[in-house]
Amino acid sequence: MAAQGRIVWVSGPAVRADGMSDAKMYETVTVGNSKLVGEVIRLTGDVAFIQVYESTSGLKPGEPVVGTGNPLSVLLGPGIIGQLYDGIQRPLRELSKASGSFIGRGITTTAVDMTKKYHFVPTVSNGDEVAAGNIIGTVQETDLIEHSIMVPPDHAGGKLSNLVSEGDYDLETVLATTEKDGQSIPLKMYHKWPVRKPRPYNKRYDPTVPLLTGQRVIDTFFPIAKGGTGSIPGAFGTGKTVTLHQIAKWADSQVVVYIGCGERGNEMTEVLVEFPHLKDPRSGKPLMDRTVLVANTSNMPVAAREASIYTGVTIAEYYRDMGKDVVLVADSTSRWAESLREMSGRLEEMPAEEGYPSYLASRLAEFYERAGRVRATGSPDRDGSVTLIGAVSPSGGDFTEPVTTHTMRFIKTFWALDAKLAYSRHYPSINWMNSYSGYLADIAKWWSENISEDWFNIRSETYGILQREDTLKEIVRLLGPEALPDEEKLILEVARMVKIALLQQNSFDDVDTYCSPEKQFKLMKLLVDFYNKGQQALKEGASLSDIRGLDVVSSILKARMDIKDDEMPKLDQLDKDMQEQFKSITGVKVSN
Amino acid sequence: MASNSALETTIDKILNNTEKDIHSNIQSALSESQQKLEDSIPKLESEYDKIISDGKKEADKIEKQIIGSSDIEARNKQLMLLEEAVDKVFTKALDQIANADRSGDYSNLIKTMLEESTQILGTSEITVFTNAKDKDVVQSTLSQFSGAELSPDTIDCLGGIIVKSKDGAMTFDNTIDARIERLKPLIRKDIASKFGVGN
Amino acid sequence: MTTEGGVQYSKIAEIKGPLVVVDDVENAAFDELVEIETTEGERRLGKVLEVGNGKAIVQVFEGTTGLSISGTKAKFVGKVMEMAVSKEVLGRVFDGLGRPKDGLPDPIADKFIDINGEPMNPEQREYPKDFIQTGVSVIDGLMTLVRGQKLPIFSGSGMSHNLLAAQIARQASVVGTTDDFAVVFAAIGVQYSEAEYFRRSLEESGALKRSVLFLNTADDPAIERIITPRVALTVAEYLAFELGMHVLVVITDMTNYAEALREISAAREEVPGRKGYPGYLYTDLSTLYERAGKLNGRKGSVTQVPILSMPSDDITHPIPDLTGYITEGQIVVGRDLFRQGVYPPINILMSLSRLMKDGIGEGSTRADHSEVANQVYDAYSRSQEVRALAGIVGKAGLTEIDLKYMDVGDTFEKEFLTQATDENRTIEETLTLLWKIVSKLPKNEITKIKDKYVEQYYKEE
Repeated sequence: MAAQGRIVWVSGPAVRADGMSDAKMYETVTVGNSKLVGEVIRLTGDVAFIQVYESTSGLKPGEPVVGTGNPLSVLLGPGIIGQLYDGIQRPLRELSKASGSFIGRGITTTAVDMTKKYHFVPTVSNGDEVAAGNIIGTVQETDLIEHSIMVPPDHAGGKLSNLVSEGDYDLETVLATTEKDGQSIPLKMYHKWPVRKPRPYNKRYDPTVPLLTGQRVIDTFFPIAKGGTGSIPGAFGTGKTVTLHQIAKWADSQVVVYIGCGERGNEMTEVLVEFPHLKDPRSGKPLMDRTVLVANTSNMPVAAREASIYTGVTIAEYYRDMGKDVVLVADSTSRWAESLREMSGRLEEMPAEEGYPSYLASRLAEFYERAGRVRATGSPDRDGSVTLIGAVSPSGGDFTEPVTTHTMRFIKTFWALDAKLAYSRHYPSINWMNSYSGYLADIAKWWSENISEDWFNIRSETYGILQREDTLKEIVRLLGPEALPDEEKLILEVARMVKIALLQQNSFDDVDTYCSPEKQFKLMKLLVDFYNKGQQALKEGASLSDIRGLDVVSSILKARMDIKDDEMPKLDQLDKDMQEQFKSITGVKVSN
Repeated sequence: MASNSALETTIDKILNNTEKDIHSNIQSALSESQQKLEDSIPKLESEYDKIISDGKKEADKIEKQIIGSSDIEARNKQLMLLEEAVDKVFTKALDQIANADRSGDYSNLIKTMLEESTQILGTSEITVFTNAKDKDVVQSTLSQFSGAELSPDTIDCLGGIIVKSKDGAMTFDNTIDARIERLKPLIRKDIASKFGVGN
Repeated sequence: MTTEGGVQYSKIAEIKGPLVVVDDVENAAFDELVEIETTEGERRLGKVLEVGNGKAIVQVFEGTTGLSISGTKAKFVGKVMEMAVSKEVLGRVFDGLGRPKDGLPDPIADKFIDINGEPMNPEQREYPKDFIQTGVSVIDGLMTLVRGQKLPIFSGSGMSHNLLAAQIARQASVVGTTDDFAVVFAAIGVQYSEAEYFRRSLEESGALKRSVLFLNTADDPAIERIITPRVALTVAEYLAFELGMHVLVVITDMTNYAEALREISAAREEVPGRKGYPGYLYTDLSTLYERAGKLNGRKGSVTQVPILSMPSDDITHPIPDLTGYITEGQIVVGRDLFRQGVYPPINILMSLSRLMKDGIGEGSTRADHSEVANQVYDAYSRSQEVRALAGIVGKAGLTEIDLKYMDVGDTFEKEFLTQATDENRTIEETLTLLWKIVSKLPKNEITKIKDKYVEQYYKEE
């Protein structure tokens, strides 16, 4: 029996209704005469506390509240890829058909086109025993996505009958039924799943495969593993969004879920305009064919912002269950935390730090715990992963504020954006001293097997140069650069080159925007070689200005833009040229 | 003499050299100044152009300013005239309402107003206020509303009623004046469009 | 509009700060407009912040000074606050609540629009990319404004931000179009003289007839400031999306707006976020800033240049901080440059226009624009480092190339940045100046510009 109550109190997105003793926690309800969507978030006696996902302007006490009997759920089936959803999985394109350029209220739509036909290829037969998670067939969702039709995780399973033959069917078609204990349960191309409940899996693996993003400072210095967790905090203007867009564009995953949570409207528009024209570097297909967008921009109702994170991660888990690698990018978890804070304030809960609720940490932990590389339930065997990357927008760029500090407890890769770097136009402004990756040891094996056995050592050497520069900078700040001996000045010089040639990356440059792992390694090796040759040359009597003056320096600095991924021999040649040029300066000195 | 001639040759040579030097100096000075002159011509020209264009910019600015403010002045005068006309229509209409006959339709109107008021206030325990002219009409209609009573105090209005809950907590102003006030923006728009303004 | 509603309640339970709590309210809606009548018969406007269990909390825009528990009446009007709009609002001056302040009658309405607006559907937005020439070199060259962008000016008390905003409003134009252009100016709690400067400046440039002014000055009620930007943006949206005009909205000073918000929050005894500002300040600001934009299939655009003064020049203060997270970049006014008498005193390193990349280049400004701008940013950044170093080791300790960079910094500030308030430079003039700066560097220091542009534009002196 669905609950039927009346509004007794309204304040912003928060509504109290009485007569709701039949309501369940986290049940969705329709609120008021205009049937706004809401969710029960607290029950006291027969009073339900409801967060409303749409603007409550004009809502009056006395108006009806009706329960739906269902928790907030998403629809999972073909047609999700390429969509732009709001926080509760309503397609924004459909909303605009109903209310034009601005978002109206009380509009109901379906998450995907239920009448669209997909070509279904069964992979099981009548009479097979199927269990929850089993794949019964596939449809081609987009050029890039083969979509597995799975027995829903909460399905009893049983003996398969009435299986349709290969052919074109829409989403409502019963593809088969299962018989168990005398009950016949239909299977369709879609099912629903509550967003706040993680989807089950068989077992978890340690993340050991790097997620390659084509961004040098990430892949080479602070890598994230498939199924891992990462966070990217930064003050405004540090290029957070550009970095996230870069990951969404170039990450080597099969599916990308991009959540714009309380961010700018134009940023979602930018993705919508840009992604259909960008080609996936591996398949050559439009990036939109693997992307799902969830947009609850800053000016859209605040409660739906809270839901958008769960909507997104549930969709990600669904594709993971098909055996795909999924990257979820959430921009920004701080705005999500703020929506928690706002609802908590309206509930008059006792606040913890900076007004955030005391359960902020546990909510963040629950969210990041939904990342992982797993063996999916059901047969056939398949492994998939959900990588979670959350942006954090610390107020005043202060990393000691609650959302940043709590997030740091639950993530393993930390890309600290630095306003000073951004002011000097060093992009991506990921600070190499404050960032870290907990996956380095796990994924080193992959690099040594696939790129070079030397990878780990060369990386350590490069990072070592940056670390020593950091110490030397203090001295320079006090005494000026002339106080240093030449070999230390060379460290400063090479560190400068590492910053320009390796750490900086121009996401608006056609070549530089994506860098293959091989090129990343070769560029890094080139710099380490340069450094070692340089130190040797100094010992052999060359001067620092000789080294600085080598023609090859400017070629090294521009190699990231000049040499394309398929022109690796040019990089080898550059290394050779460098060695030759070093000979010339040391040669002259020796003959003196 | 030989030494003399040698000296003279030297002097000649020096003189000759000096003359050459002077000559070439003059030459180079001349060409330099010519060069400078040539160089300065485009510069002068551009400066001249700049003066002209600055002057033009200034003139444009003043022109814009004059046109802009006279445009606005004219428009504002038009707005005032329109408002005057609208006001005249209003005054006349109000006059007609105030002096309208209080029979038939009018008592129906009062009844509708009373129904509406009791519904909105959620009670029929009300005190009703009206003007001296409408007192009788209201009184006769009130008999249909139990709990409602007419206040002996009259109010100053064109017509219609003000309804108060008996505890005094709620008031609903349902006078014709209040209705017109609420509708005034729409009525003004309507009148203005009859004058051919707006839309 | 209906004749419904309009019940007046006279049981006032409590008056605190800008809030009035009305008791025994039967029929009020959240966000509803309220008319408060004082004992003296004066009328004030307010709106419902919270309603339920027979109580309504009403926020009074004009403040509660002079209100009493007995004798104050609250009428619930049955609709949310609306602004009457029509083409005739152009050339008019209104107060902070949208009532005429120029002695002229109410504009004859074409429409009545909810001042809160509705969120634009991101799917229906058109990505902004049309270059707006402001005639101010530092903006056009290095932090380009585009139509539909929200680009705030972060300033500090007493600095020349209003001069700059007025100059932008006077000079802004889109090269090569004849589309209608309008300016909406909202003054929030600024001194009368500042608002008057702006008005006069528009008048003198002949732009007043295509401008609408909303003035809440320092002596006007503080809570009214919550409404002022909303009525202004409502008019801007109407002009843009109904009449197809390109509207530039200048709002000054957003700090006063945020303070009014804080005052209400404090009166409601809400749990504060940072520095006493409410936890929802970000969301609230976004409902203003996100009203900038362009829409698919509609001609006009709303471009916002909000101005805010950073308390103690602190960019990490919640107001600039949260603003920066919402807006598409920021123009930062620098105290040092201001002290040196530079106008406009823009700190370019802290400034940024996120949409610049899409608004410049071939077909809008010039193909070399992005690269020459990057080089100048880089060079100026280096020049600042060198200046700092020179402060320690002295000029003698600098290398030859360091000195070149010092020179670049000086040229940049004296010839490029510095500009008269009535000087309207074309984009070509601006680009020529950028190249003049770059040409102070030896060619091998130019790492961000393609050779072909260097050949074409580099001119050694």
